Amino acid sequence: MNTLIVLTVVDIILLIAGLALYLWLVGSGLTRVATGLEECNGLVQKIKDNAADIEGNLEHINRTGGVVAGALPLLYGMAEGIVVGATYDPKQVAERGPALPASGRRRSRLHEGVGYLPDGPVESAHAPRAEAESA
Amino acid sequence: MVFALTDTQETLWWTAIVAGFVVVLAVAALLTILVLLVRTIERRVAEIKATLTQAESNTADAALLDTTAAGVDLVLAEGLEHHLFLGRVLGKVRS
Repeated sequence: MNTLIVLTVVDIILLIAGLALYLWLVGSGLTRVATGLEECNGLVQKIKDNAADIEGNLEHINRTGGVVAGALPLLYGMAEGIVVGATYDPKQVAERGPALPASGRRRSRLHEGVGYLPDGPVESAHAPRAEAESA
Repeated sequence: MVFALTDTQETLWWTAIVAGFVVVLAVAALLTILVLLVRTIERRVAEIKATLTQAESNTADAALLDTTAAGVDLVLAEGLEHHLFLGRVLGKVRS
């Protein structure tokens, strides 16, 4: 009889103590999980805030980059036209003879430089003397 | 106080005690599984937190895209200047 009572009490105590122990373990574990999830929630909010700037700016960059990429072939064409037009072409240069020295004796301009004009300011005074003499 | 129990009552009491121990063992096993699952959840939450921390650091510089967009606009403006310059030079070279 006493054995039955003792075993019954032990059974009840084991059940209550076991439940208490395991609930304490589960409660502490769930508390840590809740803390971790709160921190994850904060991180997700930060990521959402950071990602909010991405879409609009990427569309802007893609649109502008597309315009730049579309305009580059036009610039290439213009640059090639400039290169073709400015490249030296010896066929288009007229053939010139060798440079020859001036023949005859050059007229002195020392008298004119000091204002001495014995023949007066005539046009022949400025002509080369060789031409004047021959004339 | 003396309890007078019949054999049937005593047998039932023993049966209840044994069933109680079985229930205690079952509760312990199930709660052990529950504790293990909670620890698994806790470990995976820590992994998720580490991943989110890495993702947050990766996206922290996304605000610089605004500066990049402004830089690309400057490239476009400079390209238009090149277009105007090359157009003038090309006209002179052709003429």
